Amino acid sequence: MTVNSSLHSVSNQLVISIDERFDFSLHQQFRDCYSQVHQKGLEYILDLSKTKYMDSSALGMILLLKDHVEMYASTLTIQNPSETVSKILEIAQFHRLMTIK
Amino acid sequence: MSINRYMFGLFFALTFLLILNQLVIENSVMFFVIVTLLLFCFGYYFLILEKSSISSSSAKEPQIPDIDNELIHNVVFELQQFLQQEIQVIEAELNRTKLLIEEAVCGMSNSFKDMQSLTDEQQSMIHQLINNSHSFAGGEGTLEDFVMDSDKTLDDFVNVIVNTSKQSLETMNYTDEMVTQFDGIFNILSQVESLASQTNLLALNAAIEAARAGDAGRGFAVVANEVRSLSVDSTELNQEIRNEINQAKEIIANLRQSVEIMASADMTSTLEAKDKMSVMMKHVDKLNQYTNSSVDKLSNLSPKLTDAVATGVRSLQFEDLTRQSLHSLELNVESILSISKVLADFENKPSSDVHQQLISLKDKCQAVYQETHLAESKRSVKQLNMDEGDIDLF
Repeated sequence: MTVNSSLHSVSNQLVISIDERFDFSLHQQFRDCYSQVHQKGLEYILDLSKTKYMDSSALGMILLLKDHVEMYASTLTIQNPSETVSKILEIAQFHRLMTIK
Repeated sequence: MSINRYMFGLFFALTFLLILNQLVIENSVMFFVIVTLLLFCFGYYFLILEKSSISSSSAKEPQIPDIDNELIHNVVFELQQFLQQEIQVIEAELNRTKLLIEEAVCGMSNSFKDMQSLTDEQQSMIHQLINNSHSFAGGEGTLEDFVMDSDKTLDDFVNVIVNTSKQSLETMNYTDEMVTQFDGIFNILSQVESLASQTNLLALNAAIEAARAGDAGRGFAVVANEVRSLSVDSTELNQEIRNEINQAKEIIANLRQSVEIMASADMTSTLEAKDKMSVMMKHVDKLNQYTNSSVDKLSNLSPKLTDAVATGVRSLQFEDLTRQSLHSLELNVESILSISKVLADFENKPSSDVHQQLISLKDKCQAVYQETHLAESKRSVKQLNMDEGDIDLF
């Protein structure tokens, strides 16, 4: 299970993609994706299109990412969540905290 | 009759004599005697005829009244008996019918009244039931409130889980930084170790130089040895430090495991619980809707029930009509009875009285017929079915 991230300077986006299983084992990699990015006004995109399973640690990780995003005056968008993932985000009321497409 | 035969014989004889006289004897005196005798015969014959007809016509009156009187009396008696019996039966049946109808109608009327009051009771009970179903025993809330509260509690717990997860992950970040620190310490330790080994080497070199210097270097050799032992101590201490730090790292690894367990709560069961909640809410909604529409329907039913009972009670008014019918039948029975009485008075009397009685019977029949006919046309209750007209109460 890996986390991939790519920074697109042209569109000012940082895209983080998660594989099938978004859980505690990814926490170090996930953090490494953004912890060194100190650019301001960036658009952070979390691509969950391949993600089939998410537990509460994933929710915690997203919240930490949000903290980082806010610290650097940037936006966070969650992209293409599956139905199950979407429901989990809804229960956690994340739709109030960030954009989910 | 014997006289008739005698006259006939005489007549033939005289006729024969006349013919004989005319043809043979030719005596005119004889002729006149015979003719006169013939005339006497004829006269007598006609007299007899007249007498017999008069007697027969007058004999009819005394003869036939004798026979018919008997017959008439018998017939009248039988007729009267028959009428009496039939009248009794009819009267009995009329009374029985009246009684049956009265009882039946009374029973039905009471039954309707009972039904009305029972349905009223039922209605109020249903209302109470509905009111109760909206709030629980303590009256502190509805089913709806309960479900909504549970939903909110579930949300709160989800919040707690997510926040715990977040905090745990932050803790992990700090411990990771701590591990990095330890690695930094190891780095420095290695440097210290290399220092110590270099120092050891230097001390060795110093000892060699001191040995070469002979006695002059003895003091220096001692110093060199001390330095050597110091560096060995240092190496040992480094090892201990390394051990301690490794232990710390192990503890941190355990910490990491603990935190992993704490942070990784499976959300599936929560998802299911939330689904059930929303299903429950829909059910409660439906229940409310259904209850409301039921209340509406029940309110509509109540006047319909009252109407139905009223219709039933109104229909019982057939009793009045029936009673009137039976009553008028009684009048008819009475008129038959009056005729029967006249027949009962019919006595075995001589011919003229029987004749008179028959005439008075005929008159009585006619009188009763007129009365009944008048009463029938006056009858105000000429109804064919229940829906026409008003009810006249007798």
